[in-house]
Amino acid sequence: MATSAEPEALPPLLAVEGMSVGYGRQLALEDVSLHVGPGEAVALIGPNGAGKSTLLKAILGLLPLTDGRVKVLGRRPVDAREHVGYVQQADTLDPEFPVSVVQVVLMGRYRAVGWFRRPGAADRRQAMEALAEVGLADRARDRFGTLSGGQRQRVLLARAIAQRAQLLLLDEPFNGLDATTSDILIEVLARLRADGVGVVMSTHDLAVAHLTCGEACVLNRRRVAYGPIGEAITPGTLAEAYGSRAVLLASGATVVTTNG
Amino acid sequence: MRILEQLGSPLIRRALLEAVLVGALCGAVGVHVLLRRLPFFTLALSHATFPGVVLASILGVSVYLGGAAAALGLVLAVAAIGSTRRLEASTATGVALAGAFALGVLLQSAQSSATRNLAGFLVGDILTVSTEDLAMTALFGLVVTAALIVFHKELVLSAFDPIGARAAGYATTRLEVLVLACVALTVVTSLRAVGTILSVALLVTPALAARQWTTDIGPVMALAAAFGALAGVGGIAASAQWNVAGGSAIALAATALLAVTVAVQQARTLVGRQASRHGSKSRELAS
Amino acid sequence: MVRLLLDPFGDAYMRRALVEILVLSGLAGVVSVYVLLRRLAFVGDALTHTIFPGIAIAFVVGQSLFVGALLAGLASAVLLTVATRIRRIDHDAALGVLVGAFFSLGVVVVSTQSSYTSDLTALLFGRILTVDTAEIIETTAIAVAVLIVLTLVHKEVVLRSFDPIAAEAMGYRVFLLDLLVNAVVALVVVAGVRAVGTVLVIALLVVPGAIARLVSERIGPMLVASVAAAGLCGYLGLVASYEASLNHGVRLGSGSTVVVALTIAFILTGGAAALLRRRGAGTAAPGSAVP
Repeated sequence: MATSAEPEALPPLLAVEGMSVGYGRQLALEDVSLHVGPGEAVALIGPNGAGKSTLLKAILGLLPLTDGRVKVLGRRPVDAREHVGYVQQADTLDPEFPVSVVQVVLMGRYRAVGWFRRPGAADRRQAMEALAEVGLADRARDRFGTLSGGQRQRVLLARAIAQRAQLLLLDEPFNGLDATTSDILIEVLARLRADGVGVVMSTHDLAVAHLTCGEACVLNRRRVAYGPIGEAITPGTLAEAYGSRAVLLASGATVVTTNG
Repeated sequence: MRILEQLGSPLIRRALLEAVLVGALCGAVGVHVLLRRLPFFTLALSHATFPGVVLASILGVSVYLGGAAAALGLVLAVAAIGSTRRLEASTATGVALAGAFALGVLLQSAQSSATRNLAGFLVGDILTVSTEDLAMTALFGLVVTAALIVFHKELVLSAFDPIGARAAGYATTRLEVLVLACVALTVVTSLRAVGTILSVALLVTPALAARQWTTDIGPVMALAAAFGALAGVGGIAASAQWNVAGGSAIALAATALLAVTVAVQQARTLVGRQASRHGSKSRELAS
Repeated sequence: MVRLLLDPFGDAYMRRALVEILVLSGLAGVVSVYVLLRRLAFVGDALTHTIFPGIAIAFVVGQSLFVGALLAGLASAVLLTVATRIRRIDHDAALGVLVGAFFSLGVVVVSTQSSYTSDLTALLFGRILTVDTAEIIETTAIAVAVLIVLTLVHKEVVLRSFDPIAAEAMGYRVFLLDLLVNAVVALVVVAGVRAVGTVLVIALLVVPGAIARLVSERIGPMLVASVAAAGLCGYLGLVASYEASLNHGVRLGSGSTVVVALTIAFILTGGAAALLRRRGAGTAAPGSAVP
């Protein structure tokens, strides 16, 4: 269970120590620890129900902990929310809602704009820049729901970019995406990492995880493995997380589970 | 208890029987109302029966017929409005509800004859229930219950997993229509006992209370029917004791039942949480 | 035709009714858009029933019905917001329970009074033709307060309506935002009770917003369209009921006619929108090309 051997220069963007979440006999998460420094990216790997979404929500301070600690930028999660960008799955949003693409991206600026005020020209510019980065500047005035699923996912990423978040949490962002969107996502995440943004990303897609992240945390309610991605994701750790019926395809691209 | 003294009166006996029948029916049907997220739609249905009842009285036909026709009209209206996709279900229901009630009021005020007993329509008038009403209640109750029992597993499956049900070959739209028809029939049947607005209460509250005790739909329906019947009896007893409106007393009795259920379940959860915390603490100490 | 539209307002009481309905339409028109965005049609309808015990109790103890309604409305807003947060119970079911409990409580209170039928009618269907200047001022005060509040929190409410998860993640207290909007809806219900009655105020809260959504897919224009639709139907409703009652011997309640006007407006708008869609179905929609 090696951790990256970096000097303790800067405080980590995210420090999770011994976190447990849940009630009753079956905890959703038990004794999970991980760190994310500026420019680092951790992939959360594990089967459904392993607690990946729970972990992300706990980092946002949306769930109470039964044990352990979470510190974002050295503070409690509730105090650091404006610096954390959460990119959820776009299919939860109502496609008929009367809001335009650029308005959605502008929502990322609302915290910075503050209560009672309207977004200004500078905010609009940042929103358009973020849209341009994900390749959707030409769709700015269209209604959000007229975009394809992959495009909507990109808009949500643009929103997090416009927010100027220092820590980015992504919940299965690559699920069912078209190739163009996947490529754009990978590029954008690389650019963000180069700018010092930290990334925590849950995914099933191991190929993408290898392309975007330097570390991986393999989960199944407990931490099965954590460390540099090449070391943390192995047939052994995957078997432990997904159960003995997991088979790692030779290409290392994805995990296949069989019902024996 | 005053109710026991009054059991000799045929009026009270009829009211009591009607309360039990309507309570049980609403309890059972209410489980499906909850399953398919239909409380608002049911409220709209109960409002929509208003123009139907007014029209029926103008035309001189049975109130049940008018109410049922209006319910059908509402279902079609909501479907039509919702099909635009721009307006989702609750908005469509709200618009249809408003239109239906406006129509009813229009019809009523266009009538030069004296206004019907509107209050009775809204809150019910259980003490004036006749033997014919009882017979209709029993008949409709039987029909609806039979339908729900015969199609039980299909209804439950298509409620929990509409896509899977369709894949398995079930006509999910027809099943949905069946449930709506049962609800509409139940609302019309309950008009005499509890009126329009409180029929929703009786359709939602006992079923909700029953859901807190178990999740298997069959037993939930039986328990909901029992709770509904119990609320009916309790309501009539309270009505006799303190001389308050019967329908409302039934609704309040059902609410009290729910409150007790929720309190008990909350207590159980709290106790459970304490136990697990003690359990995990002792595990820590032991390791 | 012009005479038809202006004649009714020769009398002072009709002019007062018109002012009241126009103020109410402005208020309800704006709030109706938020009701649509937040899908609060059921909450609005529930509130029309849950304020009933407030009015009933005020009636019985001889206090101002308006104050009774106001207190009950705000209390209901709080309860409704809290109820929808209990995870054990489904949102819609909780509303159904509250409607039943409150309304039956109101009925029980009212049934202790022997004579309540005529007041009940006024309560249910409104009595806009007897509104006095004090009431107009009260309605205007509510309208101004609500509009100021909504202007201030507009963008946060839109965010919460569209994406509650993001709102929560960004640190907004969704519960408080919901409480605020529910309280606003309760205020509109209380203000509207006098004009069109509890039963029909739901129409003012739902239909204008629905009409607006049919004609536009941006919130700004929707707000304008909603207010315009509500105002126009308010005006035409008054005219129609006046005409029918005085010149044709058909007793049509004003509140009801307004709602009928709204329903007709909705049907016409929906029909026109459907026709336009069918016409435009031949041409390709802009921006539908694959990226």
